[in-house]
Amino acid sequence: MALSVQNLTKKYGEKVVVDNLSFEMNKPGVFALLGTNGAGKTTTIRIILGMLSYNSGKVLWDGKPFDAINMSVGYLAEERGLYPKYSLLDQLLYFAKLRNVPKKEAIKRIKYWSERLLVEEYVFPPKTRRGRNTKSNRAEQLSKGNQQKIQLMAALLADPQFLILDEPLSGLDPVNTDLFKQIIREEIAKEKYLIMSSHQMPTIEEFCSDIVILDRGKTVLQGNLNEIKKDYGRVNLFIKADKDINEHISQLGIKIQNKTPSEYHLKVQNEEQAMALLSKLIEEKIPVVKFELREPSLHEIFVEKVGNVHEDE
Amino acid sequence: MKMSNISGWKDVFNFTLVQTLKSKAFIIGYIIFVIFSLLIFPVMNYVLDKDTEDGGLIKIKSVHVFNETEIKNIDFDKISNLENVVNDLKFIPEDRNYEDVLEEIETEKEPSVALKISKDEGTYILHFTKSTGGIVKNAELELLGNAVKESFERAIIDYADISDAQLKVVKSQVTSRISTVGKEIDSEGNEIVVEDTSISYNDYWFLYGVIFALLMITIMASSKIATSIVMEKSSKVIEQLLISVKPLAIVVGKTLATLVAVLIQFISIIVLAFVSNKITSNAMSQQNGNVIENYINPEIVNNLGVDNILICLIIMALGIIFYSTLAALAGSTASRVEEMGESLSLFTIASLIGAYIGMGAAGSLMGMGDNPFVYFALIFPLSSPFILPGAVLLGKSSILITIISVILLIISIILLFNFTAKVYETLILHTGNRIKIKELFKMAKNSKEGQI
Repeated sequence: MALSVQNLTKKYGEKVVVDNLSFEMNKPGVFALLGTNGAGKTTTIRIILGMLSYNSGKVLWDGKPFDAINMSVGYLAEERGLYPKYSLLDQLLYFAKLRNVPKKEAIKRIKYWSERLLVEEYVFPPKTRRGRNTKSNRAEQLSKGNQQKIQLMAALLADPQFLILDEPLSGLDPVNTDLFKQIIREEIAKEKYLIMSSHQMPTIEEFCSDIVILDRGKTVLQGNLNEIKKDYGRVNLFIKADKDINEHISQLGIKIQNKTPSEYHLKVQNEEQAMALLSKLIEEKIPVVKFELREPSLHEIFVEKVGNVHEDE
Repeated sequence: MKMSNISGWKDVFNFTLVQTLKSKAFIIGYIIFVIFSLLIFPVMNYVLDKDTEDGGLIKIKSVHVFNETEIKNIDFDKISNLENVVNDLKFIPEDRNYEDVLEEIETEKEPSVALKISKDEGTYILHFTKSTGGIVKNAELELLGNAVKESFERAIIDYADISDAQLKVVKSQVTSRISTVGKEIDSEGNEIVVEDTSISYNDYWFLYGVIFALLMITIMASSKIATSIVMEKSSKVIEQLLISVKPLAIVVGKTLATLVAVLIQFISIIVLAFVSNKITSNAMSQQNGNVIENYINPEIVNNLGVDNILICLIIMALGIIFYSTLAALAGSTASRVEEMGESLSLFTIASLIGAYIGMGAAGSLMGMGDNPFVYFALIFPLSSPFILPGAVLLGKSSILITIISVILLIISIILLFNFTAKVYETLILHTGNRIKIKELFKMAKNSKEGQI
């Protein structure tokens, strides 16, 4: 089972919003769809889910045309959407019905997820003696975080095999962020296929194995995240010494990325250059407190790739 | 339009219908309509009963008659106890001074009036004078005046010594007929004449009322659908829905659910009104008989058969589907609720044009009878949903016209659905500036439906 997006192109008039995009998900896990605002991430997601038509290309699941309506799919949209005036239980049951979950099973799952996400008091509010709800059960009176939980419930109700999460952690407090992360880990453990779109690079690094970075509809980088980092090499040097080492750094022609009172963040051309600096400092008998050579972060890769394109223009 | 594009509409229908029926606006509106339907006839009967209490519509007890003409043989006895109108009314011939009698009327507790019968240049004048206290109403004097006039005319004929045969000749009606040269006689030898097909003033108002009521129902139902679509767009619920159903299924589900909700209200009102009329007629007042029959043209009452009611409901339902689809299309061009008024202008203009054509046709039906404009209004899909039900009840739409009209309406709905299918997918996820009509047609032209 795999998702295959082949040469996908979408135009609005003369404007190309997705330009010849191709990627594959051959195994369960999390695939990251990254890009600046307006890069075409949401359009790509909408095309995959069948909400939008496209000009050319293919979206296949297991070699057959992808059909979100008749497949096991869950979607947490970037812009949260709930009926503000209707009861939460009614709308969750509706979303479950649309995904062909029988009512009895849907209620069971809603109970499970509302307990898990700590929103049971809103979905199943206790009644007064007169049969009135003690708490509001309508979306319009919930906090943004709680609305997001209900939205995640709606995406998970059908226990989908393929899940798309568009900015799943935005606007959540640290406690709820951990709760969401735990649930995402559980879904990954169940061998599900996830596409995640986020601007929080540490989160992407935490979960994703493969990425594609889009910029104005064009693919600027794609592949396995570890391999991409390996290709970049260990070029980030974090060094801390007891004496001023500015002179030694400039002698070797190393670029200072950032400097704090106690530490340097240097960008070396290769590992040999870093080792040369270390040898020089030892030779000069300068005590080195910290010497850490590591690959670039996803954040740096993203800024470099997207920034480069913009600079070229 | 592919059938797969509307798969899942039943789930949308069920949810929308249940939420509509559960909504406070619907429940409150429904209760108001139910109360109105149940009370309308008892209230009307009560008002009529109040008017007729004390034995008749005319409460005047005595009429002081000053007859200054040569016609003295007026039969006032016939007027004194007219059924349901007058009870024990006394006509008192006066030889007293007119002014003195007027003073007496002013001070009398019992309602009385003065009647001066005079002649002025060949015209007989029946002049009633009432007190300033307002005990006697003008409406009573109009009724009494008509009754006295009838008796006075009879007295004039008697005075002139005209026999019944002569009277029959004098009273013979004169009518004009129109025929075309060479076509005066048909194959059976009968004279071909142009029939008077115009409707009465009351029928015109009936037709006008039906058109107006249907316009209100259509606007209410269609606006509700448009609001619901804009709300789903602005609240972004639509993205949650679109992974499970196609946009067209949402339109179909919503339209049919709103239609059912409207029909539930409408049929309940009609049934309750009939029940109310029946109970009121039987239990509360024997005197006024059936209230509906008293106020509506008997021909309409005769036409209120199951078949005609069914035809009217079908036309009404088709009209609501047609205009709701148009409203859904118009509503989807807006991204925010605030833009809805502007985006609905297409729907508003179309529905008003339809209703005005219907009203114009009703007017021309009263003035000229059947004419090409009326036929056009009856079959034109924008106007037929408004005028056809009333015309069917008045017997002013033949079976052929009704069938043509229904077929044209169905074709229009299919065409509109096809157009909607082409543009709706793009519209429903559109955010930003409102899409104009010109852009809609461009979208439909460029659409590649089924490419996904």
